[in-house]
Amino acid sequence: MTMSINKAAMRFLLAGVVLLGLAAALPHLAPWPVPDFVLGLLYGVAVGCLLGALIRWRMPEPCDTATPALRRRYLREFLPAMALYVVALLLSVWLLKRIDHVALRTLVALLPVPPVAFAVRAMMRYIRDADELQRRIEVEALAIATACVSLGYLAAGFLQTAKVIDVPSGAAMIWVFPLVCLAYGLAKAAVSRRYA
Amino acid sequence: MLSRVREMRERKGWSQGELAERLEVSRQTVNAIETGKYDPSLPLAFRIARLFGKPIESIFLPDGE
Repeated sequence: MTMSINKAAMRFLLAGVVLLGLAAALPHLAPWPVPDFVLGLLYGVAVGCLLGALIRWRMPEPCDTATPALRRRYLREFLPAMALYVVALLLSVWLLKRIDHVALRTLVALLPVPPVAFAVRAMMRYIRDADELQRRIEVEALAIATACVSLGYLAAGFLQTAKVIDVPSGAAMIWVFPLVCLAYGLAKAAVSRRYA
Repeated sequence: MLSRVREMRERKGWSQGELAERLEVSRQTVNAIETGKYDPSLPLAFRIARLFGKPIESIFLPDGE
């Protein structure tokens, strides 16, 4: 990988801006009604790209933080797992609209979980086999992320109890893992810069 | 802790990447050791000393020395 930090961050930024623009303009430009699902996907990926740009801008180059073999193994294990997760999630959402049987709905609802477990396994293997400084950075970033998300959920729990906010339980539970991942990415960028 | 890793690396004509490859660590780790932002573990310090053929105490110096 030879892209500089700025180039990679710029590409994420450009992708995010283009997708945001597309999501905003599509309802006005398309000759047919655009499904909410498509708009949601566009906005979601756009926000993901913008956050990716921020994290990528502040982080060291991937080729500086891991040996080529370790990077290759991580990508080989992580990317297919995440691709499978996206497919499983879309399939699960589609099937749940067409299935009533509780046992079957349980299985279908849990379809996205195994691919995420494999992605987490890829991350754990990366951390285990990284060098001592990288392991320190990863563990510190995970600790910060876990603490911040836990604190955030505790605060939200108190607000929910006091009826100040009303967050649907399904949404609250689903967002734990993505928030931990986001917080971990931001924390890792900040922690890495201490050693740059 | 102060380190003379950069001086010894440059004497050998190695880049940070090359030294990282020989030590089987990341380039960021080599840079952090050279700039004093990270103190290596004992096993890594021994590997560095063995690579340069020098005693550990001639490569890594306590702050102030």
